[in-house]
This record gives sequence, C-alpha cells and structure tokens, in this order.
Amino acid sequence: MDVKLTINGEEKSASVPPETTLLRLLREEFNLTGAKIGCDVGDCGACTVIVDGIATNSCLMLAGQVQGRSIETIEGLANMDDYHPLQKNFEDLGSLQCGFCGPGIILSAKQLLDDNPDPNKEEIQDALAGNLCRCTGYTKIVEAVADAAREMRGNREAA
Amino acid sequence: MKQKGKGIGCMWYPIGFTVAANPSAATVKVNEDGTATLLTGTVETGQGSLTVLGQIAAEELGISTDDVHVVSADTDTTPMDTGAIASRTTYVTGNAIKLAAEKAKEILFEVAAPMLNVKPSQLEAVDRKVQVKGFPQRNLPISEVALQAQFVQGRPPIGSASFNPPTVDMDPETGQGKPFSTYVYATQIAEVEVDDETGQVDVLYMSAAHDCGTAINPMLVEGQIQGGISMGVGFALQEEMLFDEKGVQINPNLTNYIMPTSLDMPEIDVDIVENFDPTGPFGAKGVGEPTAVPTAAAICNAIFDAVGVRVTSLPATAEKVLKLIKEKRANENKQLAPAE
Ligand code: FES
Ligand code: FES
Repeated sequence: MDVKLTINGEEKSASVPPETTLLRLLREEFNLTGAKIGCDVGDCGACTVIVDGIATNSCLMLAGQVQGRSIETIEGLANMDDYHPLQKNFEDLGSLQCGFCGPGIILSAKQLLDDNPDPNKEEIQDALAGNLCRCTGYTKIVEAVADAAREMRGNREAA
Repeated sequence: MKQKGKGIGCMWYPIGFTVAANPSAATVKVNEDGTATLLTGTVETGQGSLTVLGQIAAEELGISTDDVHVVSADTDTTPMDTGAIASRTTYVTGNAIKLAAEKAKEILFEVAAPMLNVKPSQLEAVDRKVQVKGFPQRNLPISEVALQAQFVQGRPPIGSASFNPPTVDMDPETGQGKPFSTYVYATQIAEVEVDDETGQVDVLYMSAAHDCGTAINPMLVEGQIQGGISMGVGFALQEEMLFDEKGVQINPNLTNYIMPTSLDMPEIDVDIVENFDPTGPFGAKGVGEPTAVPTAAAICNAIFDAVGVRVTSLPATAEKVLKLIKEKRANENKQLAPAE
C-alpha cells in the first residue's frame, strides 16, 4: 500500500503492508523514533502525535488512514535555533525523569495550547489525562505547561 | 455526602543493603583544561543521579558541574557499582566519588604547593582555582596545575576509590547489630474526600516533609517526592495485580491495571528537611524509594478520619470502602436495636 502524507511540513511517501500502524510507519519507515511504543493498544499515550491538529494515539491509527493528512511529531518542534517553549520549560523545571512519556505529553500539551492559549490547571490536567507517566507525579509537567503557555502568550503580544 | 478527612503517615527507611556488601567505586581524572572526567558504574534512570554525582565531584574539586564529564555504566570501562537500587546512589556512589575526587585533588595540591610556596595542607580548591586558605589572591588556575602535574612532574591527577557502607552483622546472642550505615525519615499528611454513598476516595492534598540529609539538588529531590506520591496514591487507591487460580495475572495491561493519571494527582507541598549527615557526601543521604512509603498510610488514616472505617488491605477501592461503610452502619444499627 502506498501512503503519501506530510510530516512536520515535509511531503513523504512510503510503501507498507496495510496492517502497518501510523506509529510503526513513523518509527520504522521514517526513522522518527520520538513517538514511543508503550502499550500499542491505546492505553498509555506514549505514541501521541498530532494529526491535522488533533493529538492522537498513533498506535490506534492505520497508515492508510493518514493518506494525504498532516502529522506533527516531536522531531518537528525544535529548530536549529531554538527549542519550542514547551521543551524549554520542561527542561527548566526538570519536568521529566526517564522521559519515556515526554514526546507524547509534550504533543498533547501542544495541541492544548494551540487550541487554548490560556488554560487553567484543570484544563491542563484534563488535556494530559490520556498520557501516563510512571515517574514524575505530573506535578512539574503541569507547571511547565502553564509556564510555556504564559511565555507563548507573552511572545504573541510582543510580536 | 462527601466527607473530608486528614491523616498522617510517618516512616524511616534505610539506605543501602542490609549488612550485605554493596560497594561503589569511581575514578575521577582532572584534565589539563581544568575539566574533570568521572567514571562511575551507576546508571541514570531519570532520577537525576548523574547530575547529583557530577555535582559532588565538582564541589570536591572546586569546579563547575558543567566542567564534569560523567561517563556511566559501561561495565567494560567504568568501575563497578552495585546499582541504582536501595536508594543508595547519592550516599554510596556519592561517597566513592567524593573520595576519588579527594585523591585527585591531593595530587593537584602536592603539585601546586611548591609553586605557591606553601604546604599542601594550606591549599583549597575553589572557583576553578587552587588557592591558599585565607589568601585567595595567591592562586593558580586548576588547568595550569593539572597541566604542570601531567607534563612537568609526570603525576597525572587521577583518583580512584571505593565505598561500602560500614555495617555490623547481628550478634545472635544479644540481637544487636548495625544493619545500615544511615537512615532517612519522612512524614506525609493527606487530605481526602470520601463519598459515603459510593465509597469513592479523592486525594485533594498531600504535604510531604522528607529528611534526605543535604539536598544536593533540591529540584530533583522535589521531583522524586512528587513521583513517589503518585506511586503512593496508586498503591493506596488503584493499583492491584489480579491473578486467576492458576497464578496467571488477569490484568496484565494498563486498561485493567489502573494507575494514576494527571487527574488523580493531589496538590502537593514538598518540605525538604535539610539535615547534615556526617557520613554522607557533603551531608547527603538519599530520597528515592522512601518517597512512596508513607503515602498510602496517610491516605488510609485520612479515610478513617473522614468516614470512620479502617481499610486493612490495599488498594482502598470504592467498592471496598463502601462495603466497610455499610458494615459500620449495620453494626451501629444493631447496637441501637436493644434500646427499643
Ligand atoms: S502505545 Fe499508543 S497508547 Fe500506548
Ligand atoms: S518521565 Fe518516566 S514515564 Fe514520564
């Protein structure tokens, strides 16, 4: 099966068996290993990527379903000059420990901030409820998302 | 109706193995540009131990943490370490690293002493310099001393050391011994809300006071405590491995083995109780596992405070708590009956 899609702004194509999930497509065909294989059945959120603006468990989506669509992965967040404000604030607060949940959590948070630039604590907790983290207790993660939101609002006003 | 309650849990916890040997070894090498390389066999699992260990080496050598290149856990090349277990890394591996750095520093001092016309014992290492105690203007950059040591005097500034926590085996006659070299202590307070019609328990707030010796990196200590509380909340209310009669786990997946999400987390206040332990590196002890120890006890005590029932097996699921509340009500009614 041939799939054509946009990943982090670049057009890509691959030929894969029809049972290939989006997660395997990203990891095995395009070598984008930021999205993690946690449970592979939709429980943990470690495989979260953004599909046409919606944070999605990529283990639950087939490659065929992303035909012509646009995907954002963790690899697309930073550029040569700078980290994304979420990444910067996660680093500043030491929000992650082992980091396995990190790419998924950051993308869930990114979708939240894309849709709602000024979320309160409950809204942040709610947006991350599908991403399990065994290490951190989510405390510093939620704080970093709030800090990033503040920073991004500031940047927008300054621009 | 939702009933609120508060409960306290206290604990002590030993650092390292019970009497059994659990050594760590380390090598510290000061480079000619004033940086240092630290070889340690321990692993980073996200808790931040390599940062803390780099800080310990840096503090001993009077350089910045950024100057320390930590090489870890390649058993072909790094000295042996018992492992990132038993909440022992900061204390046991940290002590080995401090001792190794001390030895490298001794060589630097012996080389610098004649250059500064003093005895080695009059020197200290501060701000990337070797300087005379009390006369900081008489100093040499560490890089220069290391260069001199390596290329002029032929004495590379390298130190290797190991540390095994001193313990005393139990005397079978007296029952006396010293099973561990040091202990940490903590108290956590939980505030919960119990719905007495459904048995559902929500943890609203946790306050956690932990003695971990010197907190070498308070941000990482906080992260450990918050993470431990989330594990404790899961242990208290949600997490249970279920087995069938053949011993096969029937919930080996995250759909049926429930663990805390961001929505289950209480507000947390962390209180680091600094307490210098003279046997630890710069007074430090440890913080890892102890963070999850008192949480469930505090939550169960808070449940008792809220609805007057004692949960004696974990997790305190809604079903279990509701059953206990119903039993309690039935008992109260029975006691009332003879009065009629
Ligand atoms: S790997 Fe997709 S949700 Fe766990
Ligand atoms: S940091 Fe380890 S799972 Fe989140």
